Amino acid sequence: MSGRDVVIGIAAALLLLTIMVVVLSGGTACTPSTEIRRLAEFYLKHCINLYNKTWWTSSPAAVTSMLWDYRGIDTYYETSVFFLAIIGGVALFRVVEVKLGAGGREEKKELGLSLIVKTSTRIVFLLILIVAVSVALHGHVNPGGGFQAGSVLAVGPLLFMAAFSRRFLEDRLKLDRAKCVALLTIGLILIVLVIASPLVVGGALMQNQPKYWLPKSPWGYLTHVGPLELSGTLFFLDVAEFLVVSFGFTLLFIIVSIPEKEFRRLLGL
Amino acid sequence: MSVEQILQPYCYAALVTIIAISLYGIVRGASLTKKLIALTIFGDTANALMIYVGYRFGEEVFAPVMPTFEPSPSEIAWFVSTAVDPVPQCLVITAIVINMAITMFLAFLIIQAYRLYGTVSVKKIAKLRG
Repeated sequence: MSGRDVVIGIAAALLLLTIMVVVLSGGTACTPSTEIRRLAEFYLKHCINLYNKTWWTSSPAAVTSMLWDYRGIDTYYETSVFFLAIIGGVALFRVVEVKLGAGGREEKKELGLSLIVKTSTRIVFLLILIVAVSVALHGHVNPGGGFQAGSVLAVGPLLFMAAFSRRFLEDRLKLDRAKCVALLTIGLILIVLVIASPLVVGGALMQNQPKYWLPKSPWGYLTHVGPLELSGTLFFLDVAEFLVVSFGFTLLFIIVSIPEKEFRRLLGL
Repeated sequence: MSVEQILQPYCYAALVTIIAISLYGIVRGASLTKKLIALTIFGDTANALMIYVGYRFGEEVFAPVMPTFEPSPSEIAWFVSTAVDPVPQCLVITAIVINMAITMFLAFLIIQAYRLYGTVSVKKIAKLRG
């Protein structure tokens, strides 16, 4: 054990002690109790308040209304971070122009796991798809939303890659890298369109419901169409985020499954 | 005082201990892969801590979702007095997805480093020349 180890050990212990003291002495403003913060009370009180529509979002799900209405810019920047991480991954692997099937005879054979696994994967994928779409479309009235649904759906292609092969995904399901990038970009463009559309009629950026205290914005998104709840922008933003997250992750999974042999040949190692 | 409230310091202690151990793993991990694993543990524990800070004790505690589309003022008052804090949940939703994207990106970098250098050991990579 060298001196460095001792120093790092002491530093970790000090850090642990400091966080404990800070948290237990009330450094997080309000440690779990029977009361919640005033800020949270504001959000809970106003998210679907029909009697005071100054701040309302017309969505019964407080988390979704915060995510896209009260704290929309924060979420927008986090989507940008997500997009940049994906672009970083794609840029690292840009040298690979893999035409699968060009890799010799043994790669053309359909390999993968046993028939039982393959059949159950097909059934499970259907269920994953249904759950993901349901979570995405109900994000503004139930717990759920675009981020969660996207993460759920991204498991589907991963399962296919494990049980069948990457070729199955690209040849049979026609889901290759270019398509993933296209759908991801469509999602991002949708988000920008929904965010910027109130500007056309004289509203504010990211505006959802009418804000009467603004000088000129009597206009707001529809809260519902017939019996269908829309909650203004929240529904569209959830769907767009669903596209972004699900196909972003699918893209990453496709890239990470590029065969090692192919890579070494291309890099000349 | 309920059982949950009595156990509260132990929950904090457990979460903070995991955070400290994972930080130690990030600093002292022998290979890049182990550092990445420690980083994911760190992120997940931070999220769990955040959710825990937003919890609320009481007789009835519900998720922050209004069960009706046309709530009356009394229903809104009931909602405000029983729902848990939605702010940490809102932060964690995005944090989880960003965490996963960053983890994938770092995994790519590690794979690339392994392909180029043939090792993921920090010490061996530091000794490389040229």
